[in-house]
Amino acid sequence: MGRFIARRLLQAIPVFFGATFIVFTMVYAIPGDPIRALNGERPISESAQRALRERYNLDDPLVIQYAKYIGGLAQGDLGETFRGQPVSDILKQKFPVTARLALGAFIFEAILGLMAGILAGLRRGSFMDNLVLVSTTVVVAIPVFVLGFLAQLVLGVELGWFPIAGLQQGWISYVLPSMVLGSLSLVYIARLTRTSLVENLRSDYVRTAEAKGLPRRRVVGRHALRNSLIPVVTFLGVDLGTLMAGAIITEGIFNIPGIGREVFLAIQGQEFAVVVGIVTAGILIFIAMNMIVDILYAVLDPRIRLA
Amino acid sequence: MPDDEPLHGPDTLVEDEDEEARLEDAMARGATGGLQVESATATAAAAEGGVSDYQASLWGDAWRQLRKNPLFLAAAVLLILFTVMAVAPGLFTSRDPQAADLSRSVETPSSSHWFGFDIQGRDYYTRVIYGTRVSLIIGLLVVGVDIVIAIILGSIAGYFGRFWDGFIGRMADIWFALPTTLAGIVFLSVMGERGLLQVSFVLIFLAWPTLMRLMRSSVLAGKESDYVLAARALGASNWRILRVHILPNGIAPVIVYGTISVGIIISAEAALSFLGVGLQLPAVSWGLMISGAQFRILQSPHLLLFPALFLSTLVLCFIIIGDALRDALDPRLR
Amino acid sequence: MRTGRKTQEGALVEMDGSFGGHLLEVRDLAVEFNTDYGDVHAVNGINYTLDQGESLAILGESGSGKTVSALAIMGLIDRPGRVASGEIVYKGVDLLKLSGTERRSIRGSEISMIFQDALSALNPVFTVGDQIAEMFRVHRGNSRRDAMAKALELMDRVRIPSAKERLRDYPHQFSGGMRQRVMIAIGISLDPDILIADEPTTALDVTVQAQIMELLAELQQETRMGLILITHDLGVVAEVADNVSVMYAGKIVEQGSVGDIYARPSHPYTERLMNSLPRVDRKSGRLDPIKGSPPSLMRIPSGCPFHPRCPRARFPVCRGEVPPLRVVAAERLSACHFAEEVLGDAG
Repeated sequence: MGRFIARRLLQAIPVFFGATFIVFTMVYAIPGDPIRALNGERPISESAQRALRERYNLDDPLVIQYAKYIGGLAQGDLGETFRGQPVSDILKQKFPVTARLALGAFIFEAILGLMAGILAGLRRGSFMDNLVLVSTTVVVAIPVFVLGFLAQLVLGVELGWFPIAGLQQGWISYVLPSMVLGSLSLVYIARLTRTSLVENLRSDYVRTAEAKGLPRRRVVGRHALRNSLIPVVTFLGVDLGTLMAGAIITEGIFNIPGIGREVFLAIQGQEFAVVVGIVTAGILIFIAMNMIVDILYAVLDPRIRLA
Repeated sequence: MPDDEPLHGPDTLVEDEDEEARLEDAMARGATGGLQVESATATAAAAEGGVSDYQASLWGDAWRQLRKNPLFLAAAVLLILFTVMAVAPGLFTSRDPQAADLSRSVETPSSSHWFGFDIQGRDYYTRVIYGTRVSLIIGLLVVGVDIVIAIILGSIAGYFGRFWDGFIGRMADIWFALPTTLAGIVFLSVMGERGLLQVSFVLIFLAWPTLMRLMRSSVLAGKESDYVLAARALGASNWRILRVHILPNGIAPVIVYGTISVGIIISAEAALSFLGVGLQLPAVSWGLMISGAQFRILQSPHLLLFPALFLSTLVLCFIIIGDALRDALDPRLR
Repeated sequence: MRTGRKTQEGALVEMDGSFGGHLLEVRDLAVEFNTDYGDVHAVNGINYTLDQGESLAILGESGSGKTVSALAIMGLIDRPGRVASGEIVYKGVDLLKLSGTERRSIRGSEISMIFQDALSALNPVFTVGDQIAEMFRVHRGNSRRDAMAKALELMDRVRIPSAKERLRDYPHQFSGGMRQRVMIAIGISLDPDILIADEPTTALDVTVQAQIMELLAELQQETRMGLILITHDLGVVAEVADNVSVMYAGKIVEQGSVGDIYARPSHPYTERLMNSLPRVDRKSGRLDPIKGSPPSLMRIPSGCPFHPRCPRARFPVCRGEVPPLRVVAAERLSACHFAEEVLGDAG
């Protein structure tokens, strides 16, 4: 197991460098003068320009710029905004909000998705099954931003159950955005659970369990479900990472001051250090969650662990 | 695009099973093996029939099954309608999508103007009709190019293996680690001018790994199959094996997922335009229309509902067609 | 089960093994699968009996209904399949008339079944010890510790080397032969009266096949259980079976003792099976396979289901009349209009 984790860590290193380098290149290697782009229409003095170029290592070749950036990153330095605020401070301040939102979405999608998937998978072809299939297809087809507005209109305005936007009312403010954020993954989880359960219920070892004369509850609960949930749990893990790496659209619609909105404000304000910092953090979270999931996979499935 | 990495969504939408599968399965449980001598005659007979017959029957059978699927037919008819809308919007409306009459700003739907007017006082029905074009073009262009990339890279990785498989595989790993929504926004926002081509490029750039991996595993499976081993034993060249024996079968899952991807990409384009990093005005795009509607959904919900309805319906069409294709192409289900 | 159970005739039958008739009697069993594309007649009215200590081989190729008939005995036919008619009388009681719970208590403990591919038939995420012990925990209510101790004994009994260390291993860590031994350990764990083995050696190497068959034969000697061996392998049949039922297209076409059937087949299908085997004693080195392929169970040929492939078929009788399974010689049953002729030629 130790070697498995070590190998996995080694594999993650090139992925991290590759992904951050792509982002870095895209942001900094754009034709034209970044300082001009950074400042848009505002006039800027010669000396200020030189200072900025110096500070952002803009006269170095791209690879050196990248190396300096990674060097800073290793010391926890993600760069600063033009006003001199460290990007890491912004992350510390905004990340908890996004994390709470992601966690809410995670709980919502996990509970509802698993329930729907199990109910549908256990009684294939039943009304419940068809309901799950049809409703999930429709939810996938509706883009998240439309879904967000619909949720605001129906659950917020018409029914008045939840606050429409902002975080003024405490935890209940997170309910609606969490539901919208988790809706797409909920569909995947419901379908993944259903497919996986149906497949496992058809498997040879479930037939063996039946031939052993086990009660139905044990056949399904202990034998079929235990195996069916392996892919679902791993998907949930990866998804938690994805959710935390940015809920830009949802945060925008519901006016929630998290990482996603910060990226948006940064793009509008041309604060590229913030953008790169947040994307780098997103990549790190994603890679970390993937590793945790791989380890979880090995824990859950002896075929991987003891291969 | 939706917040949850839709471009790399798990292909759980691509799932299987049907009532008959259960039966076949139940029967197969008993039916493994068979008398060896017998199965030898059967294999010989199949070999005589040849691979091309099998392929013809795969797509032929699929088509026969699709024709009987009412959901598929409905989606196909709708898609044809959307396509006509994209090619010749003039058939549906004689008005100009840019003609504005500010005095009629945000007027609600009426019998002469079915979808009402937008903020600039432009006929909303006309604009929604004209909006079909970019969605369809971007969806098809992005997925078309990505399928070509998938076929090339997937075949190299799957068929030649070793170094190339490792190299292409690591590249895909790196791409998977990019947070799709974030990366899409970043890449597009640093582009000065954003038209159809720029948006398509970024989506092509971000979406290729999933299709490539599908193609790769398809090619891998095909490479191990008996008929390919037989072809190789007979001295067929790599190129011929790939072209004649592996690709025609291996491409089915890519086509299925590609079809569903068109829907996902259309949704992603709308989301990017909605966020203000996709197409720019004066382009006529559903995402831009919804974006313009977002601060007045309470006062003028029609501005949100009509483009959203068209957008969702078009996406749904591709998902349904993809689902139906998968069911029809999966020989395990027959 | 010890107290006896009412049969459908109302008579009370002792259940402790001292009971008079056959251990198992299958009467006119028919199983069909109702699908959207039509009904599949997997088993079409078969009859056979099994006695204590008897080894009965059910021989047939894929799709002949041999496994489906065994699953029917176990009560494991799932939607869209159903037992359309017939009786499965175990110790005088028709299993088909029992409730789900009653059947479940018989399953695994009195009639158990082992499957072809032990790798997929064992649950990949539980240790083999767990999977054997589960029998004692569920059927006997034993504690975890006791059940594990018994599982260990069983692993010794099926001769898995260093069983103690391997108790906590997972199925994928075993070789094919060892996995099948685990399967057998589960099958015999509660001393069943009947063990159904569905192609137990098909997935194994030839040398391992022999060891597994030997083990099954020995266990049967020890326990006097009835063994139903489902196979397509004529060699396996010759090694362990006492009697053979040959199935074709959901029907039994020939029944008799192994010696008789191998010496003198009385049905053209059996005859062709024998001829299709490579044999050392035959002059020409050519194999002689059966022409054509097994019929679709949705469209079973009229008359004798074998007639389209039968070299002896005569028209119109073979196409027009279904040959009944009838006595054609002492202890011999055959479903061929010309069974006597087949017998004569073989002799």
